[in-house]
Amino acid sequence: MWARSFLGIVTLVLVVQDAAAFKAHDFKTCSQSGFCRRGRALAQRAQEAKSSWTSPYSIEPTSVVLEEGAVVKAGVKSSLYPEINFGLEVRIQEDGVVRVRMDEASGLHKRYDEAASWALISNPVTSRSVKWTVGKKDIRAVYGTKKDIEVVISYQPLQVTLYRNGKEQVVVNGQGLLHMEHFRKKPEPPAPKTEGSEEQTVIEPPNPRAWFEGDKEDDLWEETFGTWTDSKPKGPESLSVDINFPNHGFVYGIPQHATRLALPSTKGESPTFTDPYRLYNADVFEYLASSPVSLYGSIPLMHAHSEDSTVAVFHLVGSETWIDVSHDSEKSTQTHWVSESGILDLFILPGPTPDEVFAQYARLTGTPVLPAQFSLGYHQCRWNYVSSEDVRTVNKRFDEEDIPMDVLWLDIEYSPDHKYFIWNEKTFPDPVEMINDVAATGRKMVVIVDPHLKRDSSYPVFEKAKELGVLVKPKGGEGEYEGWCWPGSSSWVDFFNPGAWDWWKSLFKPYQLEGGAWSWTQSTEDVHIWNDMNEPSVFNGPEITMPKDNVHHGGWEHRDIHNINGMLYSNLTWQALAVRSDPPKRPFVLTRSFFAGSQRFGAMWTGDNLGTWEHMAVGVKMVLANSIAGLSFAGSDVGGFFGNPDPEMLVRWYQVGAFAPFFRAHAHIDTKRREPYLLASPHKDIVYSILRLRYAMLPVWYTAFRETTVTGVPILRPQYIVFPKDKNGFDIDDQYYIGSSGLLVKPVTQKDVTETNVYLSDDQIYYDYFSFATYRGTPKGKHITVPAALHQIPLFIRGGSIVSTRERPRRASSRMAYDPFTLRVALSKDDTAKGDLYLDDGETYTHQQGQYVWRQFVAEKNKKGGKGIRISSTDLGKLKPTEAVEGAPGLTTYDPKNVYAKTLEDRNVRVEKFIVLGLKNKPKSVKVEETGEELAWDYIPGAASTDKKGGMAATLIIKDPKVKITSDWSVLIL
Amino acid sequence: MVSWLLFLLPLSVTAAGGRPKLVGVHPSALSKYTPSKSNSWTCLDGSKQISWDAVNDDYCDCSDGSDEPGTSACSNSRFWCQNNGHIGAYIPSSRVGDGLCEPDCCDGSDELSGVCKDSCKEVGEAYRKKREAELKIQRTGAKIRSTYIAFAHKEKKRLEDLAVSLLKQIAVKEKEVEKLREHAERTESLSQAALEHKKQSPLYQSLLNHKKALQSLKREQKKHADRERQLGDVLDALRRGYNPNYQDMAVLEAVRGWEELAGLPHINDVKKGEGEEGEAVEETRAPKLEEPVDDDLWTADELDNELDDLLQTDYTALLLDHEEHINAPTEDSILFKLTSYLPEDWLPHYEAWKDGFVEWLDTLGVVRSENHAASSESTRAQQILSEATAELNRLKSEQAQAESGVTKIFHPEHFGTRGEWKKLDNTCIELNFGDYDYELCLFNEAKQKPTRGGTNFSLGKFKSWNPDATPGSPEYYKKQVYQNGARCWNGPERSVVVLLSCGTENAVTSVQELEKCEYQYTATSPALCTPPEEDNGNKNRDEL
Repeated sequence: MWARSFLGIVTLVLVVQDAAAFKAHDFKTCSQSGFCRRGRALAQRAQEAKSSWTSPYSIEPTSVVLEEGAVVKAGVKSSLYPEINFGLEVRIQEDGVVRVRMDEASGLHKRYDEAASWALISNPVTSRSVKWTVGKKDIRAVYGTKKDIEVVISYQPLQVTLYRNGKEQVVVNGQGLLHMEHFRKKPEPPAPKTEGSEEQTVIEPPNPRAWFEGDKEDDLWEETFGTWTDSKPKGPESLSVDINFPNHGFVYGIPQHATRLALPSTKGESPTFTDPYRLYNADVFEYLASSPVSLYGSIPLMHAHSEDSTVAVFHLVGSETWIDVSHDSEKSTQTHWVSESGILDLFILPGPTPDEVFAQYARLTGTPVLPAQFSLGYHQCRWNYVSSEDVRTVNKRFDEEDIPMDVLWLDIEYSPDHKYFIWNEKTFPDPVEMINDVAATGRKMVVIVDPHLKRDSSYPVFEKAKELGVLVKPKGGEGEYEGWCWPGSSSWVDFFNPGAWDWWKSLFKPYQLEGGAWSWTQSTEDVHIWNDMNEPSVFNGPEITMPKDNVHHGGWEHRDIHNINGMLYSNLTWQALAVRSDPPKRPFVLTRSFFAGSQRFGAMWTGDNLGTWEHMAVGVKMVLANSIAGLSFAGSDVGGFFGNPDPEMLVRWYQVGAFAPFFRAHAHIDTKRREPYLLASPHKDIVYSILRLRYAMLPVWYTAFRETTVTGVPILRPQYIVFPKDKNGFDIDDQYYIGSSGLLVKPVTQKDVTETNVYLSDDQIYYDYFSFATYRGTPKGKHITVPAALHQIPLFIRGGSIVSTRERPRRASSRMAYDPFTLRVALSKDDTAKGDLYLDDGETYTHQQGQYVWRQFVAEKNKKGGKGIRISSTDLGKLKPTEAVEGAPGLTTYDPKNVYAKTLEDRNVRVEKFIVLGLKNKPKSVKVEETGEELAWDYIPGAASTDKKGGMAATLIIKDPKVKITSDWSVLIL
Repeated sequence: MVSWLLFLLPLSVTAAGGRPKLVGVHPSALSKYTPSKSNSWTCLDGSKQISWDAVNDDYCDCSDGSDEPGTSACSNSRFWCQNNGHIGAYIPSSRVGDGLCEPDCCDGSDELSGVCKDSCKEVGEAYRKKREAELKIQRTGAKIRSTYIAFAHKEKKRLEDLAVSLLKQIAVKEKEVEKLREHAERTESLSQAALEHKKQSPLYQSLLNHKKALQSLKREQKKHADRERQLGDVLDALRRGYNPNYQDMAVLEAVRGWEELAGLPHINDVKKGEGEEGEAVEETRAPKLEEPVDDDLWTADELDNELDDLLQTDYTALLLDHEEHINAPTEDSILFKLTSYLPEDWLPHYEAWKDGFVEWLDTLGVVRSENHAASSESTRAQQILSEATAELNRLKSEQAQAESGVTKIFHPEHFGTRGEWKKLDNTCIELNFGDYDYELCLFNEAKQKPTRGGTNFSLGKFKSWNPDATPGSPEYYKKQVYQNGARCWNGPERSVVVLLSCGTENAVTSVQELEKCEYQYTATSPALCTPPEEDNGNKNRDEL
């Protein structure tokens, strides 16, 4: 959806041809935000003061207390306000993560301290083995398997430093920018001047805190932006903290911004951006393709990377946050985080490898859920398919063209006056029949349900929310907040209110509830949900969102929870779908807004992009940035939401989309229709082949998802994750690997391209996925030039990989459940290869009870007899039952005869073809070891995996070995 | 799911196992599927020789997919469902063994046995019933269509007769015009020189200048009026479309300003009114109050209505009238007034004498006067000639129309090869949907008319039949295109595609706006109902 029509109309009326439609004046810059301005000014003063600058915050040594586990607590004072008390708590978790918390103690109000309860999956376990040593100047703890990690908490000034092997990894308050604005009473306005007092001059004493806080108060209380005034009833409560990475030259993360993966600097010498990165979930109309402006979602997680190590910080705060990034040198990074409210709750993730950072972050906020199989297929969306007949026609057209598609989407126009759940009776007179007709072709539907409820007494959803008293309240905390969104005057459910939860979950039941309460009887289990506008988008609100002084459950202001709000909405919708059926089925929920932890509730997309090459290119980087922050299930609208892409652009966009975990085509209501079947040849045929390729590769995607659900390592892996020691790859963000499959792709995102450049980090052979052309990397890395005409996708199999695909095109993924597999065995330069394949029913949660199949395929030199290659299949489920699936703590054994595996066996799900790449010689014989059966094969001579000269790979195609996917077997190439 | 699986378990057959060897092959192609003596078989495209065992073995050997007519192994093959009891059909290989019972494959042969029951008997039954019902409609429609065709023939006859009779009238008229032209030329040659002289009059020249100026002013005024109207439309759209709760002061001021200027109520009040009373407050831009006009000046109304008349004045005639008028006082002189003092008997003599005398004076240059009679006679003759010429042109165009009408009736790009659409020329049908009536005047224009009153929008004028089909083919008449309707503000010109099918009535059956301002009508018409007998040839071939 978009941000949005009336804004568009206004824009178009007033500025008919506005090249850049992004409305900069709708959104604050740092200088327009009081606390950001104060934070940056603080940093400026520190910079000017240079070495004479010292943080006013220090630990009172007498207050230090060690508690059970690796917990240290201490009182903190600021020399500026000696009467104010702060409490510090530092704990080391079982996995070595350091959690630093600081709050104002017994202040005038309470700072918001509940962000962790929404973002974390559970309270992290504190280490029992690590011991703190309390010294005179500091407190220290040494740990790690090699005792290589040391955490030092210095007293004066307060500073927390994480060392590895004596090298500073993360330094908190190293620049002395830590500042927690304490709660204070609003000063009485000066007494009205009495007559005759004009001449009196009030001599103000010099402000002793001016060196730190500046010499005048700046927007501490009421603050105005545009026509909106934020009443700020609690006054200033911002939190500033600097975090240095003295030995890391690259930082990544803090999505969502339209920029490079390796974050460009915002301060220091000739910074790329002049404003800090902003995290404040916002519905930004026609956002810019290169900007630090905040977008729809926020994850305050930052990776810092060097050839030596990867570390990360997770700054768990839900309020508006601005982050400056600068580099003292190429090898170090300084960051400065300023948040509007909330306690300091900072997690330092020690790494030291990217994979360990992912695991550490996953233990905090959870791993992505295993999606329903159908949601990895192709999604066809448009604002709007206008009627049930339209939906049926589009569905039919896909079938007529014999192209696969899994999900048809309905945007907001299905509902009269945008009263979500309710169908427009004129255009959708038969919704359930329509859904069933789509389902009869093995497909699903996704229908949008937005969080704003039309204030209309005939709308049962609004009426019930009103009755339950679970709507967000305006400032002052009385009544219901009214804002303007699609339906006109609207209110918003406060999902922070537990009183809303059961009711929201009940709404999605596709059957009549006992007691007659309203539920969505006009839907079925084949309907899944799209949550849009959950930043929340409020057309007439400040910065197109809610006023910050709105009041949520528990009396918290909207400013405290703004960035968490969107996640809670998709969380509850997710739960609602999971419980609507018995036994529960995996829901699919797409959200636009997100926060740390949103990976547990489905997929996200990069919002309302433009149909331009720049947006296509930055979309890839944004998806990568989301992936490393946990949100692997991500994608950008194929085709671009705004505008009419020409056929070339559309083809390239399908190539981009087919290699994103979430693959959806979407279009604005003002655009021409652009479903694939409307293209002419050759573009149409190219798009069809891309769609079929996506479906052939579904086993790769599903297997990659299994892995991330267990390890948290993202599905899309940029160079620095796969080759953390190759500095040439640290700034590469236009090519990436897919899971552990060994597939490397570089989607083309430029016009008129016939060839492109791909970087190979390692001394390994790479095979073109389609042509089997070989390329050889070098130990120092190598750039190769590869063909990339419109019909070509630069896609490579890294030598040493076995890729499982299903090559029979079906109309939908659900129809492929029993199809045979093709294995591409891409031999490494050492003549080995391996790969895994994970399968389950793709629909229910029975995999958590052990109903799955997880195989490993290995190709190696044949040990028996020492000649030839042996390809074998072994049972990973049996080998690693505890690592197979997420969310199954009790699952310690694996039964290869489980119901699901049995079904595959009974249906004779098999390998129908091997394609072995890089053999040295033409084989003499190919046979199944167990039965001795000779197999039919074709051999095309070519380059061996050990060759360095390139050329087409030697290719062996083994015809139908009839080996079952569920069995152990070996195929010998002699 | 589970019970379904249990049901499958005892079968335990391979995808291809337990099925006839040549499942999926069309009976007429069976002869191509025979093994050679060496038990081999050649792909139908001749590309490869494979073992006979490799046919339908669920592995794709042939690049043309011909070795796997009965499985899903080749993505480019198709599967023949025999559908005994119904009509056989091909399905793409992607649907074979996909667990779904294809409607096109009612015998269930595309799935493992036991998955889909053979429902061809019922499906065939239902199909035949449906087909019968369709045929009934088709027959009824065809009868109506035959009246359309009869109408076309009659109409053709009528137009042909008309064309002939018009031709005769034209011939008569042409002669008459010829005569009149000769007469006019004669009379005109007498007065032409004099007239040219008069046209040199400064007054006449000034008049012509005034005329030009007026015409220019009128053109400019029209341009500005159009512009004002368009601006008004833009502002109306802004006023209705803007979000009053969004506090954009610039927009709000623009709306308020417009409302004041146009005499409209504030839109928020209107919307409230709608909400409370369920009906729209009357919404018309109040006509601007007539500004007071100086005594002698024209009112706006007069400008609107009478300026054209003024500009159409025949200046030549006026010039002559003017001369007459100016010269009149001379007739008041004693010489011309003498008649009143003369006895009646003298009069004829006097007139003769006077004419001679005046002519004499004229020759001497004492009295400059024209032969009034000659010049007005010339004008009259011209007038009669131009009237006659106009009538002739009208007859000619009527005749041409009649002739082109005759051609169009049976022209494939107009009213169809059999003229079946002629009857419906400008027939208007409509459908109410939402807040609008969608009208379609065939071969003329499609319109969107708000049911609660207000401006009608043209959705487009008839442009062509299906541009993607061959004129004359059945497909050609299943689609009409209407284009260049009213421009959507901030969008394209509205347009309509009409999808037509056979029905006993001329009716619009649905309207959808599939893209912004691009509408799709579905409509039925008996004109598309060919008699089933005519179809049979085609149908039978299809069903093979």
